[in-house]
Amino acid sequence: MSEPEPETQTESTDEQNESASLIDTHVTADSETGRPRVHGESVVEARNLDVHYGEEQALSDVHLDIYEREVTAIIGPSGCGKSTFLRCINRMNDLVESAKIDGQLRFRGTGMYSDEIDPVALRRQIGMVFQHPNPFPKSIYDNVAYGLRVQNETVTDDIVEEALRRAALWDEVKDQLHTSALDLSGGQQQRLCIARAVAVDPDVLLMDEPASALDPIATSKIENLIEDLSQEYTVVIVTHNMQQAARISDRTAVFLTGGELVEVDDTATIFENPDDQRVEDYITGKFG
Amino acid sequence: MATETEALQHSGRFRLKAIKGRAFEAILIVATLVGLVALVMLFGFMFFDAVSPGSASAEWYLLFFGTLVGPVSAFTLYGRRHPAVRSANARASAAVFGGLALSLSTFVVLKAMSPYGPLVYLITVGSLPLAVAAYGRYTGSSYFVGPAMVLATLLAIVWTLGSEVLLVPLLDATFELGNQLLGGVPVLGSVPVPVDRGLLVFAIAVGLPTLAVANSVLRRQLSLDRLLVVVAVLLLSAAGTSGLDQLLRPYLEPLPLWAAYGGVVGPPVIGLLGLVVTRRRGLRSGLVAAAAAVGGALAVAVGALTISVNPRLLVVLALGMGVPTAYVVGETVTTDPDGRVGVAGPFIIVGGILLGAYIEQSLSVAGPDTWVTPTLLVESWDGLFPTEAGAYPSTVGSIMIVGLMALMAFPVGVGAAIYLEEYAPDSGWRGRLASVIELNIANLAGVPSVVYGLLGLALFQNFLDYGPGLVFSASATLGFLILPIVIVSAQEALKAVPDSLREASYGMGASRWQTVRSVVLPEAVPGILTGTILALGRAIGETAPLIVIAVATATSSAPDGLFSTGAALPLRLFAASANFDPAYRTGVVAALAIVLLVLMLTMNAIAIIIRNKYQE
Repeated sequence: MSEPEPETQTESTDEQNESASLIDTHVTADSETGRPRVHGESVVEARNLDVHYGEEQALSDVHLDIYEREVTAIIGPSGCGKSTFLRCINRMNDLVESAKIDGQLRFRGTGMYSDEIDPVALRRQIGMVFQHPNPFPKSIYDNVAYGLRVQNETVTDDIVEEALRRAALWDEVKDQLHTSALDLSGGQQQRLCIARAVAVDPDVLLMDEPASALDPIATSKIENLIEDLSQEYTVVIVTHNMQQAARISDRTAVFLTGGELVEVDDTATIFENPDDQRVEDYITGKFG
Repeated sequence: MATETEALQHSGRFRLKAIKGRAFEAILIVATLVGLVALVMLFGFMFFDAVSPGSASAEWYLLFFGTLVGPVSAFTLYGRRHPAVRSANARASAAVFGGLALSLSTFVVLKAMSPYGPLVYLITVGSLPLAVAAYGRYTGSSYFVGPAMVLATLLAIVWTLGSEVLLVPLLDATFELGNQLLGGVPVLGSVPVPVDRGLLVFAIAVGLPTLAVANSVLRRQLSLDRLLVVVAVLLLSAAGTSGLDQLLRPYLEPLPLWAAYGGVVGPPVIGLLGLVVTRRRGLRSGLVAAAAAVGGALAVAVGALTISVNPRLLVVLALGMGVPTAYVVGETVTTDPDGRVGVAGPFIIVGGILLGAYIEQSLSVAGPDTWVTPTLLVESWDGLFPTEAGAYPSTVGSIMIVGLMALMAFPVGVGAAIYLEEYAPDSGWRGRLASVIELNIANLAGVPSVVYGLLGLALFQNFLDYGPGLVFSASATLGFLILPIVIVSAQEALKAVPDSLREASYGMGASRWQTVRSVVLPEAVPGILTGTILALGRAIGETAPLIVIAVATATSSAPDGLFSTGAALPLRLFAASANFDPAYRTGVVAALAIVLLVLMLTMNAIAIIIRNKYQE
């Protein structure tokens, strides 16, 4: 391995220390709860998954299982295909015309890209939270009710309240349910987006860097929320923040440039004792 | 020392830049002022020619200053300090003056056409989409309701007109074209119509909708109610082929005229009121409000009949202006204690004008010797004296042409924009087709209007064999003219809706149609309406295409239907400007221009009110 430049080296040592301490806390938390390392049923299975955007390869030969009621974190440098993978799971890539998807992607045993699957019906099972908070320019209530309305389900005040409670937003907005959602702060807007996604009671919740546009306090609220949500939902979260992945996830998948899935394992293993040298380099900040 | 000189150099440089910047700014201000001064001069000349304000006596000015200018200025000054009052005033003014403008234009159009025809339309075009919505609610699946509504509306329009007006000319023209083309091939010669024309029309008009509905409704499951739907469509389209208008009209004509006026204006106004109140206060209040509106209109009609005044105009005003005014005033007085006073604003203006006019009459104060006279507004041209020049038929014709044009062009234009922006793929042959279409639309926006006139002439008079200068042909021609403007501006408005909102909606499991309807369109409405305003302004003043399709410069009566000879204000203006009598060329032309501008500004104001409502 070539010697890194001095400047990079100092930076990487800082980050190394930081991440090391974070891993410690995670491991302690783990041993306190004594969470068993036995995985539930696998909800999403990717086999030989290839994605091309035109000529450019975004994912190459990905094998990945996502297990029930776990938080799976996907980390990796920019442009490594982690968002692409996420957007394959709810077929959001269908909206990108140049995207071409090969290989197997199964949701609870059924091929996601088979003919009998309607992407609209699939997305009703798989909720998504985006990088930038994107509430509709409607009232808070209508935002939460939107998913139910488009799915022809009855909207009751109780369902809206329950969804806002699960997103830890109810106490802050209960007196202004019928004011515009755009008047909320960024962190509140993102929690509203989470409330909107859980209101329809999806099977899986996808999160694409949900805290990257937020300040540290809002970020910690979102992270606590994700830990709570993982009691009920299968969560897949894309993040470029390794500490975040270490804090909140049960399993971590590391993608590297070229859309290659390098390693996937329990979060503790990935951060303490990765198999692949490149993963270790990435985590310690030598690369990426 | 070095640093000092450097600092000086810097400040010198900055000063130089500041001078250049100031000079540039001054030039920009001059450019703005030139445009502004030119406009003010144009309007000033026109105003002086039309109204000749110098001819009014000093008493007249004093009178109207006392009744109108003084109170309105005082109220405006008061409103400046109280924002709540100002916004209440704006809402009340919109209700009063918008309602007045809409009521008056609806009334003159209904009066020209006789209200029974529009009543038939309202019944047929209203009930079909309502039936679709009811069916959707009954079966509990709203999946197909949106597209089916559009289809039902279109079918209702076609069915109401019937085969005589729409299908037969089209079929004839197609056969004619086919024969002309085949006639060029010596061997084939002309091909006779294979079957009876009536049978063919019947087969197309009844067979197509019935088969389409049968295919979509019966394919999945055969049940009695589904079969009934198919039978209903079969019967409706059979009735529609002969024209629902002719079928329904005999049953409606025994109604008194004022009831027919009320029947056309009432349902949309009262339905809207009921919906708005229901959304705010619940179903009970909505029903009460709707009942109150019906009761009010009936009371006005009965009151007018007892003092033997014709209640037509009063019923339309009660529904079109009274209902929105009552709603806004009631809402403001009950919910907005700070702004309560503001609702008086429009009444101060109306009251001032009425009071001033009354005193002017009773004391016979000499007003200005204006060309904008009641004769000009409500009489038709007698062709003899400039003082007797009336533009009523042209005004009504313009309102009808532009109104029908808007009804035809906006759904088509916005629909095309939605397809191009939201549905059309980027790649493949359909993508290439879409980009070719887009390029062509952008170019069409710049085609000279006289060319559109030629298109109208070729399509309606030569191809479809319509008579010259019909209201329908004029509307459709102007519709073609503004279609590219509407499409391009609607596309821009749709492009401005952020993709993150679309993704959010798709991510919630919304279909494309649901996303467009509940997320994209509401966001784009203000932008679409801005384009609409531009297009309306262009269309109402357009003269050249109307000359080409031979719209009359002056008619003695207003057009009495969509397929009768029309007249339009810009043409009337054009004719007056060519008159040998100088009184026409200065006075009447200026007065007509003022009428035209007021008409245009009213339409724009209504569009702006709707836009601001959506931007809230």
